[in-house]
Amino acid sequence: MMPGHIVRFAIAIVAFAILARLPVGLDPAFQFDAALAVIWGFGILSLVLLTGYAGQVSLCQATFAGVAAYGAGMTVAGMHGGYLLGIIIGVLAATVLGVIVGLPALRLHGITLAIVTLGIALVFDKYVFQDHIFDWFTGGTGGWQVTQASLFGIPVDSSKHLLTAYDVMLALFCMVAVLMVNLHQSGAGRRFRAIRDSELAASTMGVNLARYKLLAFALSASIAGMGGSFYPLIAGSVSPQPFWVFTSLQLAAIGVLMGVRYVPAAALGGLFMAVVPDVLTRYGHGTFMNRFNYDISYDWFQLAVGVLLVLQLILLPDGVWGDIRAKALRAWDVVRMKPREEVRPA
Amino acid sequence: MTMLRIRNLGVRFGGVVALHGVSLDLNRGEILGLIGPNGAGKTTLFNCISGVIAPNEGTIHFEGRSLRFAPPHERARRGIARTFQNLQLWGSMTVLENLELPIDAIARRNTLSDALGLPFSHYAERAASERARAILHALGLGRYRDRLAADLPAGIQRRVELGRALAMRPKLVLLDEPAAGLDAGETEQLAKLLHKVRERFRVSMLLVDHDMSLVMRVCDYIYVLDFGKVLSRGEPPVVRNDQKVIAAYLGEPTPELVEASPTVPEPVITTTIPDAPQLPRTDAVEVAGETGTLLEVTGMAAGYAHLEVIRDIDLTVQAGEVVACIGANGAGKTTTLRAISGVIRPRAGRVTFGGHDITGARPEHIARLGLAHIPEGRGLFPRLSVEDTLRLAVDAAGKPERLEAAYDVFPRLKQRCRQAVGTLSGGEQQMVAMARAILTQPRLLMIDEMSQGLAPTIVCQLFQMIDVFRQQGTAVLLVEQFVESALAVADRAYIFEHGSIVHEAPAEELRRDRGLISGSYLGSAPDSTEAIEVAANGNGHHRVLDPELMEILSMRVPAEVKRALEERAEREGRSAGALALELLEEVNHTQ
Repeated sequence: MMPGHIVRFAIAIVAFAILARLPVGLDPAFQFDAALAVIWGFGILSLVLLTGYAGQVSLCQATFAGVAAYGAGMTVAGMHGGYLLGIIIGVLAATVLGVIVGLPALRLHGITLAIVTLGIALVFDKYVFQDHIFDWFTGGTGGWQVTQASLFGIPVDSSKHLLTAYDVMLALFCMVAVLMVNLHQSGAGRRFRAIRDSELAASTMGVNLARYKLLAFALSASIAGMGGSFYPLIAGSVSPQPFWVFTSLQLAAIGVLMGVRYVPAAALGGLFMAVVPDVLTRYGHGTFMNRFNYDISYDWFQLAVGVLLVLQLILLPDGVWGDIRAKALRAWDVVRMKPREEVRPA
Repeated sequence: MTMLRIRNLGVRFGGVVALHGVSLDLNRGEILGLIGPNGAGKTTLFNCISGVIAPNEGTIHFEGRSLRFAPPHERARRGIARTFQNLQLWGSMTVLENLELPIDAIARRNTLSDALGLPFSHYAERAASERARAILHALGLGRYRDRLAADLPAGIQRRVELGRALAMRPKLVLLDEPAAGLDAGETEQLAKLLHKVRERFRVSMLLVDHDMSLVMRVCDYIYVLDFGKVLSRGEPPVVRNDQKVIAAYLGEPTPELVEASPTVPEPVITTTIPDAPQLPRTDAVEVAGETGTLLEVTGMAAGYAHLEVIRDIDLTVQAGEVVACIGANGAGKTTTLRAISGVIRPRAGRVTFGGHDITGARPEHIARLGLAHIPEGRGLFPRLSVEDTLRLAVDAAGKPERLEAAYDVFPRLKQRCRQAVGTLSGGEQQMVAMARAILTQPRLLMIDEMSQGLAPTIVCQLFQMIDVFRQQGTAVLLVEQFVESALAVADRAYIFEHGSIVHEAPAEELRRDRGLISGSYLGSAPDSTEAIEVAANGNGHHRVLDPELMEILSMRVPAEVKRALEERAEREGRSAGALALELLEEVNHTQ
């Protein structure tokens, strides 16, 4: 292990310790939000790998999560398997779909790839998650009901042990995040970044484009799937609604908003995506100064994301986390009185 | 022995025949030159060899094996590396990472072990990093190690590209215009470097360049391409005296060709051609009467992100004057133009243009005042047709639409007016850029590296155009690597060094006093002869002469020695590879 690895591991443990305490003592609705935040955190983390590192566009990350959620639900509720098996099957299903989605990416770039992936998200939403042909997979109109589940003998079902489930997910999230930072700093990560910067140079310098693009899609889908496969656990059932097209778009938008090249942005984004709409629906209506009635419901959230995205692209082009980080680093240089670097041309 | 054998290669893009029946043999250890006018198919041939495009017919064999079904990365693994005419460094990575990548891409590293940070990955990582550092040190790029590749000036990026190609331990290196944007002194060093690289790395090279002095000096054998066919081939003296080549490619003896001849050249001055085309007589008439200072820059400083590239720039351009900026690569010429035209914001100082203070004004605002900037790389929109490009310019400038004016000056563009700009040859693209600039009827035209990557005949024509501009009363500020041609056309010149202006003199004087210019170029150039010695070793090629050295660089020494080396390197703030090389040199001397 290199010093870098140890530092990252330590940071992850500290982050886990802090984040794990956050929802303790809150009412169950907020605890549910916290758990949901981790699921969407996984979704954005998958985009960090795919878009931030490898430069590929995908607008079907929620579909990967959805497939994993249904896979897990089917295993647990339909086939009465353990929840660990459910997670494995869910992640595998998402990974397979990731590879399939990655195939067109070998030829397509940018906007065309975005449209293809958007099409896949639409097809899965309408003709898989909501179609009776796939009842064996989706559990029919009611979806799968997961009331009792345990991981390694610890009960983690939604009704009484929501926080345990949250801790398990958070631990997994922190682990994956560390692995991703390691990846970024290592040879494989450099190859992903090379593909992002110049595919032409990458291929002529020995990077197997097909292999690494498929790998990026597969890894990304499996990360999104990790989050998705926990969904039946915390919600108690699976329904198509959380995994529809708009969620994918929202993941992409919030990912970019928070800084799609940075792993910590995934945590920020997940929190934002899960908590803000809930707070809005819960406290967003009432009377202001006893005179003005207002009602800021969930719909306003979509609008707010759009506005924030526009503001961010102008003010913080590298995303919220990216620019805060850059400013902090510069401030640190000032604190250490490090002289401004001057170019000495050759 | 034939290393690369190409037979009857043919490539068609739609109806355009890019290559037709091209056959070529490259022997092991040879430096093969490939020359030809713009659009002759040189880069297409490179793309075929490196696997970026598939030829329609013909075969390519490398070391006796067909490359037909080998994808680009497979060819890289077999030992074919290349550089790119339009730079393709990975801009968001540091220079060091740019070199590490090919080293471990070839080594087939495992993604899982990378993510987990297993010892195997750790070890490979250190080895790659160490070798990359050694190569950088060797090429004199050590100081740029941790800079983002995108932040570097183009000339440095070109050297990094060479380093990146060498990092792959190639057997054959394809060099696409390595001397583009280099001045005479740097080109000379490049020539030496290429020879050294061949000796130490045992690589063969295929070289495309427009700089005849480089090609003639470096290459063992030359192929001349014209219209996708092999026009002629032979050893440099043969090709140089081949009437067909001179007629087709060079048009007439040019400064570059004369410089390429073995005798020490006299300064050759291209003179104005008497029947130069006439510029449109539009608003230029009133502009022609303008006198006094047009552009005045005082104490300007500018840079990128946290780097200050230029400082204390004082520069004036009188109305109707042609001024040249010369100096080595990375001296800050391009940055100066950018700061003047508002592409980047000056950090200090004042810029006035025609009486207006334009310091930090928006570029479109400055452009409307009559300051046109043709950037390095021309800044064209590849998918737009010629006509649309020109129309866009006049619309944006709010001038009446009179495209004929441009077509009169560049008749060739009239024929191509419906063609997409990206499909034109380099010379034609430069014409589009210049036509676009003159249509806005500027009072000052700033041209950055006009002649980069162009065949000598076209360069000559373009320089004549500048003289025409002067006659029309348009002032020109020129950044140029062809110092001779630039001084021939300019009235005055500024010499840049290390981000500031060190000398200012009439062009006449500089033409006479060669010492001034060569001093600024050669004096500031990196002392790379020693560095080159190290260069070859740094790579650790399989047949390098010093086995000890190779061993150190591939980290196969006892752990104590390595640690001692690293500790000392840490103390002295240098790379362990460089230190090891120095120690070895010492040992060699004492023996």
